[in-house]
Amino acid sequence: MERVPLERKVLNENDRIAAALRDEFRKRGILALNFISSPGSGKTALLERTLAGFPPGTRVAVLTGDIQTDNDATRLARYGYPVRQITTAGACHLDARMVERSLADWDLDTLDILLIENVGNLVCPTSYDLGEDGKVVILSVTEGEDKPLKYPGIFFKAELMILNKIDLLPYVPFKPELAHENANRIHPGIEILEVSCTTGAGLDAWQRWLTNRRGSVIVTEPRR
Amino acid sequence: MHEMGIATSVIEAVRVEAARRPGARVTKVGLRIGEFSGVDRDSLSFCFEALVKDTDLESAVLAIEDAARDELDLTYLEMEE
Repeated sequence: MERVPLERKVLNENDRIAAALRDEFRKRGILALNFISSPGSGKTALLERTLAGFPPGTRVAVLTGDIQTDNDATRLARYGYPVRQITTAGACHLDARMVERSLADWDLDTLDILLIENVGNLVCPTSYDLGEDGKVVILSVTEGEDKPLKYPGIFFKAELMILNKIDLLPYVPFKPELAHENANRIHPGIEILEVSCTTGAGLDAWQRWLTNRRGSVIVTEPRR
Repeated sequence: MHEMGIATSVIEAVRVEAARRPGARVTKVGLRIGEFSGVDRDSLSFCFEALVKDTDLESAVLAIEDAARDELDLTYLEMEE
């Protein structure tokens, strides 16, 4: 018996494509964010509000992933920015190759911000790097406060947790402070914003976060 | 569940490495899986076994080592001539 030591990532083919995408984004100073949540937490609603809140002429585009249908792309296209649907035909997550294919005929020079809405799922999308600058996890108050403990992977990797549907707090037993505490147990210091996409509460802070985050993207020199 | 996809990626990686040693049979595949990797060990083993059944990798078993963060690494292969 012979043991051959290896040190490689299982998903190194995905990671290779993601690294190439990240290079393309970085050299143009594009902020790319990967939005991950359970189905029904409000990813599409948040993106609709986000697009509606940008000043006219903002150089933003959206990729939206779903297992079936282009319903989300139809919803998001109403705001006048480029939107493209990725239909995964059964796959429970986006991978870097899907993003690469979807962007192949886009002129990235026309973009400052790329918002990627992953398939609604808190588990599988966590493993696949899409070349994004950061992951944003969305939790809504109609879910359990213990979701960060049940699905630690995404809360560990996300730089921001958005707590959505806070307009429903009077009607549900959800305790926001407990959700904060649980998220911080998995990811000490994780940024948290509370919003309602229905009433608009908290969306100013979210738009400011996005603008600041865009400002923190450092344009890297193109590789020679 | 994406363990089938992960198992497929493991097998692709194992084939690439095993091809460097023609004639050797893979008996064990070492993996390191972190607590926050989002991968379920039992489900991954189940998928791996289903995928290698009746193939040249049928004799390969997964040896999974726990890790603390989001690791998902292939760490070693054991082979017999």
